[in-house]
Amino acid sequence: MDSPSRPDGDARTRRGPDAGGLVLLLLPALAVVWVLFGGGLALGLVQALGYLPVAGLGELSWGHFARVLTDPDFIRSLLLTFYIAGTSTSIAAGISILTALLLASLVERSRVIHFMFQVPLTVPHLVIAVAAVFMLAPAGLFSRAAVALGWIQTSADFPLLINDTWGVGIILTYVWKEVPFITMMILAVLRQSGNALLDVGRTLKASPWQRFRYITLPTIFPAVGAASLIVFAYTFGAFEVPFLLGRTYPMTLPVWAYKNYSDIDLLARPEGIATGIVIALVVMLAVVLAQMLTKAARKRGVIL
Amino acid sequence: MGDLRIEKLAIDYGARAVIQGLDLDVHDGEMVSLLGPSGAGKTTILKAVAGLLEPSGGNILIDGHSVRGVPPEKRNAVMVFQKPLLFPFMNVSQNIGFGLRMRGQAGGETARHVDHILALTRLEGLSRRKVHELSGGQQQRVALARALVLKPSILLLDEPLSNLDATLRQRMRELIQTIQSETRMTMLFVTHDQSEALMLSHRVALLLDGRLRQVGAPRQLFHHPADPEVARFFGGKNFFQGHIQNGMYHSDFGVFAVGPQDGNGHLRTATIRPEDIRIVPRRAESSGGLAGRIVKTNFEGSATRIVVACSAGELVVLTSQDGFLPGQEVEVTVPPDKLRLFPDA
Ligand SMILES: Nc1ncnc2c1ncn2[C@@H]1O[C@H](COP(=O)(O)OP(=O)(O)OP(=O)(O)O)[C@@H](O)[C@H]1O
Ligand SMILES: [Mg+2]
Repeated sequence: MDSPSRPDGDARTRRGPDAGGLVLLLLPALAVVWVLFGGGLALGLVQALGYLPVAGLGELSWGHFARVLTDPDFIRSLLLTFYIAGTSTSIAAGISILTALLLASLVERSRVIHFMFQVPLTVPHLVIAVAAVFMLAPAGLFSRAAVALGWIQTSADFPLLINDTWGVGIILTYVWKEVPFITMMILAVLRQSGNALLDVGRTLKASPWQRFRYITLPTIFPAVGAASLIVFAYTFGAFEVPFLLGRTYPMTLPVWAYKNYSDIDLLARPEGIATGIVIALVVMLAVVLAQMLTKAARKRGVIL
Repeated sequence: MGDLRIEKLAIDYGARAVIQGLDLDVHDGEMVSLLGPSGAGKTTILKAVAGLLEPSGGNILIDGHSVRGVPPEKRNAVMVFQKPLLFPFMNVSQNIGFGLRMRGQAGGETARHVDHILALTRLEGLSRRKVHELSGGQQQRVALARALVLKPSILLLDEPLSNLDATLRQRMRELIQTIQSETRMTMLFVTHDQSEALMLSHRVALLLDGRLRQVGAPRQLFHHPADPEVARFFGGKNFFQGHIQNGMYHSDFGVFAVGPQDGNGHLRTATIRPEDIRIVPRRAESSGGLAGRIVKTNFEGSATRIVVACSAGELVVLTSQDGFLPGQEVEVTVPPDKLRLFPDA
């Protein structure tokens, strides 16, 4: 029945390249990425180790790393960065879980809601940071609105949300930006396997709270975890938002690295790069952890 | 105690009525099959009984009490789904013990119950396995065990065997049958497979197009279908049109002595099962049967299905004899006592 001499038919039925073939096809692109990223990192490392002939530095040493790591300002920056990334990620994750549950139960297939959630995903952080300045600053939109509504006397009574000690402006900006991302990740998992398992839970006599605690949470845990780690990695290494909305002291690590790197004193440069490498390490660790969670989820049959 | 009564049940999906005026009783300790083709509404009925779906009309009573408005977690009915739907983040024994833990049962007692069910469902040794390390049949048994361990009044099974291969399905049927007779648990078993329904259940309820067409013992449905459609569902192929005259049924395929019947002169449909027709090669002297010629033969293993063209039309015959060939001249005999006359349309 089957005629072997039908090349067009064969081509149509041929399956896609296997994993090995795929790697081969992607090799050129991968090479560019690795050379640029890995090469940049290696160059940076060499400079951080003190090889900067222009500045008269010629010997390799861990001295710059040591100096950076023991600098009390570095420690303060590190803690501040962890605080901002950790807090904004936790708040965003919490809000995202609630939002995703609400959306999953309310609208099964609402395109409008979907669209509304995709918009913030595409807006650059810089734009949001600028918008945050306009809205949250002491003379900003919210402050004036509060005065107009009679909630506060003058705009001087408006709480300091920008360039403030607790990084409220930065955290709010990150939360606003990251909630849609984490929410979408959770929603995807809930759509895949959520409702059927909840029906199982109901017929096995689990109360609404028990279904949330013992079915929904474990179901979405890998998605929440992976998405949060990615967001954490991003906020940990992001520069523009704390640069615009943060205080001049202490700075977050990326801002500190940038300041050092672009200092007119070329001697500060290796320290800037050393800081950058510390950031890169934390970011990579978070990404690796996210990858592990995704893998674990795939084992259970959930594709993130 | 495990008594289910469904009264005038009606269920719609939006504007589409899927189930209408359905009545069904399942008595304590009974195994009833809900049999019907794909899309007949079987899952829909089970979900309504389990409480996962709100009916638009009628009533459901479990152990004599109406469960209208009672959420599934407060009903004494547990459903096993078409797919295993195990919790992927729990191992086998955690899956099985889930319902007991939700009930707040103590750890030691839960473990004891789980061990008992593991043995009952032949899953010993797999208790620590991750769900994705199980075969399809094992997963299905875990799903069954997870429901059985709760000892519900009513166990609702939604085609739990449809994704298994033939051998495994047969073994699982026997397992379910053994468990049912050991525990005397009331079960409503959904299937689209007639032989499964006939083999497993005390009574079969046949659902066609959202209505119950016949409820009764397996033999009754098989040998005494209520109408031609029921007969067709059970593999009926040969339908005659004719009328009754003084205990004789006059049809195109001949005249048959069917004994005293009501409705002299009325048009009646009759059927004969393929395996009840006798077939022999045609010889010089006729044996008194219908003459015909073989159109097609299909070897089915234990039997051969033969289509015979007679002057009045085609008949399908199922015989255990071998050696019939297409084109062959044969004689077929329809035993009058095997003829099933349907009531007046
Ligand atoms: N959520 C739904 N919304 C609308 N229609 C539905 C929905 N679920 C099922 N139906 C329709 O209701 C009818 C009965 O579906 P049901 O799932 O009960 O059939 P079934 O007898 O269980 O079939 P199968 O043997 O294929 O599982 C079908 O025609 C189906 O298309
Ligand atoms: Mg179904």
